[in-house]
Amino acid sequence: MPLLTLIVFTPLIGAILIALVPVREVRVLRGVSFGITLLTALLGFLVWQEFDPNQAAFQLTESRPWFELPGALAVNYSLGIDGISILLVSLTAFLMPLVLVSASQSITTRVREFLVWLLIMEAGMLGVFLATDIFLFYVFWEVSLVPLYFMLGIWGGERRLYATLKFFLFTLAGSLVMLVGVIALVYLSGTLDIAALTQWAGTQPLEVQGWLFAAFALAFAIKVPLLPFHTWLPDAHTEAPTAGSVILAGVLLKMGTYGLLRFGIAMFPLAALEASTLFMILGALGIIYGAFLAMAQTDVKRLIACSSVSHLGFVVLGMFALTGAGLRGSVLQMVNHGLSTGLLFLLIGMIYERRHSRELADYGGIAKVMPLFAFFFVFSVLSSVGLPGLNGFVGEWLILLGAFEASPVLTAVSVTGVIFGAVYLLRATRLMLFGEITHTENKTLSDLTPRELGVLTPICLLCLVIGVMPGPFIQRTEASLAVIEQRLDAARDQQAARVELDLPDDQKPESAR
Amino acid sequence: MSFESLQDLYLGAGPALAPLLWLTGGLLAVLIAEITPGLTRLRPAVVPAALLGAAWSAGQLIAEPSGLVLGGTFMGDSQTGAFTLIFLGATLLAWGQARHYYGQEEPFLGEHDALLITAPIGMILMAGAQDLIVFFIGLELLSIPLYCLAAFRRTRDDSVEAGLRYFILGAFGVTLFLMGAGLVYTTAGTLNIEGLGDALVALTTPLGSVGMALILASLLFKAGVAPFHLWVPDVYQGSPTPITTLMATGTKAAAFAFLLRLAPILPSEAGLPLGIIGVATLALGNLGALVQTDLKRLLAWSGIAHAGLLLLVISAAVSAAGTNQQAEILNAATSALLLYLLAYAFAAGGALGLVAWMEADGEDHTQLSRWQGLGSVRPGVAAGMTLFLLSLGGIPATGGFLGKWLAFSTAVRADMLPLAVLGALTSVIALGYYLRVIITMWMKPRPESWAIPSMNRPLAAFLAGFCAAMVLALGLIPGFVLGPLF
Repeated sequence: MPLLTLIVFTPLIGAILIALVPVREVRVLRGVSFGITLLTALLGFLVWQEFDPNQAAFQLTESRPWFELPGALAVNYSLGIDGISILLVSLTAFLMPLVLVSASQSITTRVREFLVWLLIMEAGMLGVFLATDIFLFYVFWEVSLVPLYFMLGIWGGERRLYATLKFFLFTLAGSLVMLVGVIALVYLSGTLDIAALTQWAGTQPLEVQGWLFAAFALAFAIKVPLLPFHTWLPDAHTEAPTAGSVILAGVLLKMGTYGLLRFGIAMFPLAALEASTLFMILGALGIIYGAFLAMAQTDVKRLIACSSVSHLGFVVLGMFALTGAGLRGSVLQMVNHGLSTGLLFLLIGMIYERRHSRELADYGGIAKVMPLFAFFFVFSVLSSVGLPGLNGFVGEWLILLGAFEASPVLTAVSVTGVIFGAVYLLRATRLMLFGEITHTENKTLSDLTPRELGVLTPICLLCLVIGVMPGPFIQRTEASLAVIEQRLDAARDQQAARVELDLPDDQKPESAR
Repeated sequence: MSFESLQDLYLGAGPALAPLLWLTGGLLAVLIAEITPGLTRLRPAVVPAALLGAAWSAGQLIAEPSGLVLGGTFMGDSQTGAFTLIFLGATLLAWGQARHYYGQEEPFLGEHDALLITAPIGMILMAGAQDLIVFFIGLELLSIPLYCLAAFRRTRDDSVEAGLRYFILGAFGVTLFLMGAGLVYTTAGTLNIEGLGDALVALTTPLGSVGMALILASLLFKAGVAPFHLWVPDVYQGSPTPITTLMATGTKAAAFAFLLRLAPILPSEAGLPLGIIGVATLALGNLGALVQTDLKRLLAWSGIAHAGLLLLVISAAVSAAGTNQQAEILNAATSALLLYLLAYAFAAGGALGLVAWMEADGEDHTQLSRWQGLGSVRPGVAAGMTLFLLSLGGIPATGGFLGKWLAFSTAVRADMLPLAVLGALTSVIALGYYLRVIITMWMKPRPESWAIPSMNRPLAAFLAGFCAAMVLALGLIPGFVLGPLF
């Protein structure tokens, strides 16, 4: 059974179905789309089950010729999954039905369009993680841009047009540089297959790897976003509808970190070693700067958006430590951030629908009237700040462990980010939930509905499961990450050999050279 | 010239000239139908019939190229055949859009069709020309009908102005060409492209290179490349929209078709300057489009930008001249140009078709502001426009992306990496204005007092749907669409 094709095309066919079916009843449209995302989630679970943790290469692969043009290479439609993508694919499939349910209350205009974009987006994101042909990857990469553009622009907040244009142009600028990088890579190597490209690129000298790495890394750094390209994110998050924010934080940003790992580190290990310090510094700066930004916010949604910058700084820090623990931690932390930040955005969306304000000052003491809300909010905050026993702790711990091997100084700097994280999130919690109710409107707020509980509970459970037994999750990434480590070790040897070769040359007198 | 030598000249030229004969036959039929009472009703059937017939012969030509014909002055190869299909497609689109376009004015539709069907004859001659004189005849056959057609809405000042402007500047361009051809003939002693290829040394003399530069300038003028682009926005905006379609898609393709023929005989040192001009045009066109409020004008500036990217492809082919990669890169450039122009024809032609369609509900519909909130009342039209614009912007899953992929590929293969990166970055600007149109249509509310556009034109709807289907098919199943073409 072509499982991976099914998982990509189920939402796509669903989108076409929703777009064309002549039903005007919104409930029916919602129901059908929910069914489609649920089916996709089921397929995601099957993939999770079928996945063989001991195999490092792509598995469940499919490949057939797509097209061939004269004067260009033949392009294949080929999909596959490995330890780098398995968690993200499962996360995407898991989150989408919940996002869809959460949107059923907030999105009431142009529902059909919204559902269509949501489903196209799901297909695009799954495609990005599953493509093993670089052309196909690029197609999915840009296709997944368009739905969020419309979601932001049509259903977003007041400054949505500004935010949506900024988001699109920022990402596109990176993507187009990557396009040239892709083309150069393809023509130098003569293949489009990602596995073959990885093999080829690893054998290239630093001069070749460096440029290609730069072209790819720029696109991914904008997507993550790394300092100094982060400015589009708070705007996009703040203006996006809840569903858009959850998808953005949960999955879309992970396309950037995923790309850094798959195309940056795995493909160009020599260049990654050279760039490691730079990226760790950018990661650490992101952690601190994002935290400072978050502390200064009065809009709670913007606060969470800035905390995303900080949390993704951790992912990059761990990844570019280029150590075993760092890599594992960063892969796991991608999922953790998706879950806990997704939760926070969902909760803020829920309270916003009741109160139509995101200003911290407009709240206070609502734990008294909304105890369930308060419970879930505190839970999410604790998961986000990395309380032991919850998911965030495992990832952060591994990242810091791995980063310490590479650079104790930067790790020390970054650890403060954990503390700052607690500062701004707990401050927000206190201001929103506790103390006296100062606004009379808040006295009549209704607590979470069963539907909302149904959205939040599965995510919280997953947070708990990862926190208590991260084994099954890390284990699935093990084999693929071990291969990356080997490649990095080989590159380190190469680097060392180069240095040895260079040194005597430098020390030789002028005349002997 | 004796009968025998004439016979030799035309022997075997049949398949290569068949598309031209179909169109000439169509032209005569239109004229006869126009002056014969009782046959006038048939006129609307003649043009598409002739175009489809010509397309069929072009298909035959692609399948079985007949090589050099007419004493080595016209090349009947698959390249000519493929370009012919683009020209015919563009003409058919323009013709379809012109039905009912003129509304009450309905001036001289017989003349309109006769002029319209003459233009592709010129384009085909340009694409297949192996001799500067044949090219010149093609250029004139293309230009003169377009001068008239640009001014076809005689009651409107901007249309007349467009015609006049196009004519004066076009005449200037033609003069440049003649001057250049004269100088080239003086130095090389031949006007045949193959002969010029053998006389490259002569072309590098000061006189010869000035001649070639003048010829290039006239081609860049027709293609709308900077610094010869300033006529484009005014003429595109003032002309009747269907004619704008023909100019944007057909004329541009014809100019690039001949540039492709010239590329192998240009010195490879010309590659870099041409590439720089291309990227500069790309940037200039995109910056110019950024501030437009009129859709036709916006598409005109975007057309300039696209011409810039196409010139980058040509420059890649030029700079590879004399290297061992020459044949390979020329091949890549050819398929890049063909695919790019095909995707562009459907995307730009489709977008202009929608503008022409909207104009039926008031001529101010060329203004972008009048499209505000269209998505809420005419989602089909807005969705079509969105698709066309995304294709023009080169977003994947559309034909435009594949064109961009091949274009940049060609540049990268010819070692023009810095130019490719610059080109890629400047095309980010393009999304700035394409997205503005999309924002206007989908994300701004429609004033309630505005009437819903009536849009009851099956032909226009069919053409738009066809263009949209082709744009998607080129992006998703290009092998299926292009298989027969290459």
